[in-house]
Amino acid sequence: MPAIPNKRTPSAVETAVSLGVLAVLATVLAWMFQAQRRFNPAVTVAAAAAESAAKAAGAPVASPPELFASWPVGLGAMSVAESFTPATLSDKIDGKAELYLSAGFVAMRCQRVALVANPAAWMEAFVFDMGTPASAFSVHSSQKRPGATEVELGDYAYRAGNVLCVVHGRYYVEIVAADDRVPTMEAATGLARVFVATTAVEQHADVSRDQALFPPEGQLAGSVTLLSTDVFGCEQLTDVFVARYREGDGEVTLFVACRASPAEAGRQAAALRSFFVKDCGGRELSPPAAPAGAAIIDSGGTFDGVFASGPILAGVHQAPSGEAAERWLVRLQAKLPPAQP
Amino acid sequence: MNPADSQPPPPSAVPPPSRREFLRRTLEAGVALAATGSLGAWLWNRHPPGDFNRAASAALLPDFSVRDGGRSMSIITGQNRPAMLRRGLEAMGGIERFVRRGDRVMLKVNAAFATPAILGATSNPELVAELAHLCLAAGAAAVLVTDNPINDPESCFNLCGLAPAVRAAGAELIVPRASDFVSGTLPGGQLIRNWPVLTGPFHGVTKLIGIAPVKHHNRAGASMTMKNWYGLLGGRRNQFHQDINGIIVELAMMVRPTFVVLDGTTSMMTNGPTGGSLADLKATNTLVVSTDPVAADALGATLLDRTWRDLPYLGRAAECALGTADFESLRPERAAV
Repeated sequence: MPAIPNKRTPSAVETAVSLGVLAVLATVLAWMFQAQRRFNPAVTVAAAAAESAAKAAGAPVASPPELFASWPVGLGAMSVAESFTPATLSDKIDGKAELYLSAGFVAMRCQRVALVANPAAWMEAFVFDMGTPASAFSVHSSQKRPGATEVELGDYAYRAGNVLCVVHGRYYVEIVAADDRVPTMEAATGLARVFVATTAVEQHADVSRDQALFPPEGQLAGSVTLLSTDVFGCEQLTDVFVARYREGDGEVTLFVACRASPAEAGRQAAALRSFFVKDCGGRELSPPAAPAGAAIIDSGGTFDGVFASGPILAGVHQAPSGEAAERWLVRLQAKLPPAQP
Repeated sequence: MNPADSQPPPPSAVPPPSRREFLRRTLEAGVALAATGSLGAWLWNRHPPGDFNRAASAALLPDFSVRDGGRSMSIITGQNRPAMLRRGLEAMGGIERFVRRGDRVMLKVNAAFATPAILGATSNPELVAELAHLCLAAGAAAVLVTDNPINDPESCFNLCGLAPAVRAAGAELIVPRASDFVSGTLPGGQLIRNWPVLTGPFHGVTKLIGIAPVKHHNRAGASMTMKNWYGLLGGRRNQFHQDINGIIVELAMMVRPTFVVLDGTTSMMTNGPTGGSLADLKATNTLVVSTDPVAADALGATLLDRTWRDLPYLGRAAECALGTADFESLRPERAAV
C-alpha cells in the first residue's frame, strides 16, 4: 500500500470560513479597543479620586487641630476640624461632591464655630483646596446665587443671605451660618478675613482677561461662570467661560474658551458642532453670513451657534431663534481680538 | 478477492488513521479537554459580587404598603406644614387608614446634613414631629425615626433639629450602628447586590413612611421621596452616584412604603442637595401625601420648574410599574389650608 501524507491543503471553503472567523475576531478586538478608549468620565473621576486618595494616604498630612490659625474675637470652636479627600468628600456633601471632583478637587477641611455670646448662632466654615485658582473660581462661579451682594474681602467674595463665599488663590471658602442676622454674618465675615489674612497663596484667581471677551451690554450681573467639564453635556468640552444675557423675555448664554492654538480651537468648534447635531439630534441651518465658518444648529426649538476665531472657541447656547443666534454670534465676534491670518 | 478492494482510493479521500494515529489523536483531544476544563474550573468564581443568595435577599425590607383601593394622592397648598399634613391625610382617608393600633411605625427622614432646618436640606422637624404625633394618636405602639447620614450622624440629627423634635414628640430616634446593616441583594437588581442595607431598625416594624423635602440635586436632577431611600444604604455608597438613576429605581424596587410625604413648602431650587443659602430656596407652598412615590416625585418635579421627563429615574420607575409619573391620573384631591 503506498504511503499517503496526513497533511492536505485546505479547501477554498475552509479557507474562506477561517478568514471569516479571523475577520470577526479582528472586528471584536477593534470594538474592544474603541470602547476602552472612550471611558465614561465618571470612571475617570473615580479613578483620579482613588489615585489622589492613595497619594494622600501615603503622605504625612499636617492636620492642625483647628481649621484657622486664630479665631476672631467672640468666636469659639463648636466641633473639631474635619478633613475630606476626593474619596470621602461625598460623605460630607453627598451628590454635590461631583461638582468639586470634576473641577479638580484636592481636599476639603471644615469646622463648626459659634458665637461665644450666643451658641445658637453657629456656622460651618468649608475650605476647599481646588488645586488651582481657576478651579477655585470655577466651583465658586458655578454656585453663585442670584442677587448676591459683593463683599470687600478676598477675590470675588459675595454674601447671599446666610452664606459667605470667597475665592483665595487655590482655595474656595464657603461659610454657612445658621441664620442671617447681623451679628452672625459679621462674625462669618471676620472668620473669612482671618483665613485670607493668614493663608499665603502664590497666585490669585483672575478671570478679567476672559471676562473681557464678553460684550458687556445686556450681560446679567455676576453671571460669568467657568464650567470645568461636560459643558452643555459635551464630554469633550472643558474649561469654558459662559455668561448669560437678557433676550426678550428669556435669556441666552454666550461662551468663550481660549485654546492653545487656532487649530485646536477649530477642532473643538467642529467637535461641538458635531455634538449638537449627532448627539443632540439637532439640524444644521444654512451657514450665517458672519462670523466666517460659523454654524447654527436648530436643537429642537432652541438654537446653538459655534465658531472659532484664532485660538478662541466661541458661540451662543439656547438662543430663541436662528436669527437671534446669528445676531449674538456677530456681537460676540465683534468683541473678540481679530484673528491673525 | 473483491474487485472493489483492488481500486485505489479517490484522490481527495482521507485515508483512515492507523491504530497508533487514532490513539495519539484521542490522547491529544483528551488532554486539550482536560486542560480547558481545568482552566475554566480554576477561573470560575463560585461567589461573584453579584451572586444572588437567599439568605441575603431575605434580609431586605418587607412590603409595607397598604392595598385597600383608597385614594392614593393628595396635594395640599399652604405654608403651615402640620396643618397641611393633617389635611392631606384627611383627604386620603385619615391616618387610621394606614396606621392601626399596635403598629410599629418607622419614619424614614432625610437627615443627611448637619445644617439648620431653615436651609431645607433635611426633613422639616415640625413636620416629622406632627406625623409622629398622628401615628401615636392612631394607636401606634411605637414610632421610630431613622436615617443614615454617613458623616457625623449625631451632629446631623441634632443640628438639623430632628433629634429634639422627635424626642419631644414621643418618638424614638435611631442612629444607625454598624450592626444595623446587613448585606443584601435586591432580586433582579443590578446595583444592590451583596450591599449593606440598613435593616436592623426595621425588626418588628409594620409600617414605613418616608418624609422628604423637595430639592435640586447636582447629580440626580432632584432629590425627593425616591432618592430619600438612598439613606438606607451603607458602605461606600458614593459609587452609586455613577449610576444615580439606576440606584434610585432599584431603591424604589426595594422599598414599598405605606405612604410618603413630600414637603415642597419651600423647595431648594439650586445648589442641591446641600444648598447652604436661603437664596437657594423658593416658597412653593405645596405638600404631597401619596402611596405612590413616583407620582409624588413627578408632582415635585413641577415645583422645581421641571417635568418628570427631565428626571430619567421617574420614567424608568414608571416603566418598571413602580408607580405612575402621570400623577393626575390618580385624581389627587387638592385643598388649601
